[in-house]
Amino acid sequence: MSGPGAHWLIRFNVGGAEAALPLGVVREVVARPPVVPVPGSHSFVSGVALLGGVALPVYDLRRFGAFWSATGPDRGGPAGAPGEHLIVCDWGEARLGLLGDRVDLLEQEGRGDDRGEAREGGCAVSRKFVRDVVRRDEESVILLNPVTLFASLGVPAAGPPRAMEGVGEDDPAGG
Amino acid sequence: MKFLMVSVGQARYAVQADAVRRILDPAQEADLHLEGAGAVFRGEHLQLIDLHAAAGESPGRAPVYLLLEGSHRRAIVRVDGTEAIRDVPATDIAPLPPFIFARPGRVFRGVFPDGPSPRLVLDQDGML
Repeated sequence: MSGPGAHWLIRFNVGGAEAALPLGVVREVVARPPVVPVPGSHSFVSGVALLGGVALPVYDLRRFGAFWSATGPDRGGPAGAPGEHLIVCDWGEARLGLLGDRVDLLEQEGRGDDRGEAREGGCAVSRKFVRDVVRRDEESVILLNPVTLFASLGVPAAGPPRAMEGVGEDDPAGG
Repeated sequence: MKFLMVSVGQARYAVQADAVRRILDPAQEADLHLEGAGAVFRGEHLQLIDLHAAAGESPGRAPVYLLLEGSHRRAIVRVDGTEAIRDVPATDIAPLPPFIFARPGRVFRGVFPDGPSPRLVLDQDGML
């Protein structure tokens, strides 16, 4: 049972890093559909997939250089392996997919800002994109900040629908 | 909407058929000459657009040239082959989100289901 203040996250592996997104921005998770490359698109766009009649841009964060700190990507992960799943996100009027592996639900109990690991440089992901670090057993899962991540990917910002409320909260201490 | 299906290396694209003025086989078309980075067809100097570099493909040995007419100008587009002309319902074509492109002047505008993999639709008005 979820305790008060618990948040559900979608956890996934990308480039060897354990990452997560708030469940509120995730529409669905599907097996990776056929993706057709689009010449002229950003280098971190794998291509587009047709999902429910919509051209869904598919992003491969492993190719997004700004996403990674000096220690990533592929820190301990399967180098070069494409994501087996597509995490479909709704962001305002836009819809996009992120490639990832080993997708699972994760419960975050309360909010404990723990970006110290990111600040100290021990995190594979650049701290700009880290909203929190969730500890589970011996593992650290990087909770991504969808506001900075999607903006950096070029996804247009829009008035947040109800599902996105709170997902972009940042550290008021300015971390 | 009728589309000409073309191949560029392993990539498969669709070109709106009414934008294609001519399909030119350089082996049989004496009026077509390549000149530097452009082409001359019947005395008209035209931009030569080669999609191979953009698609990350190597040019084939026997290219076919399309004389395309966009909303602003005409150009010659080099492809590796033409496959068929097919009718694709406009409702089947999903527009590509503009924010995925690294630069303005995009080359593709949409995508539709076509067998195991979707097929991209060339944007002749954005390109020309």
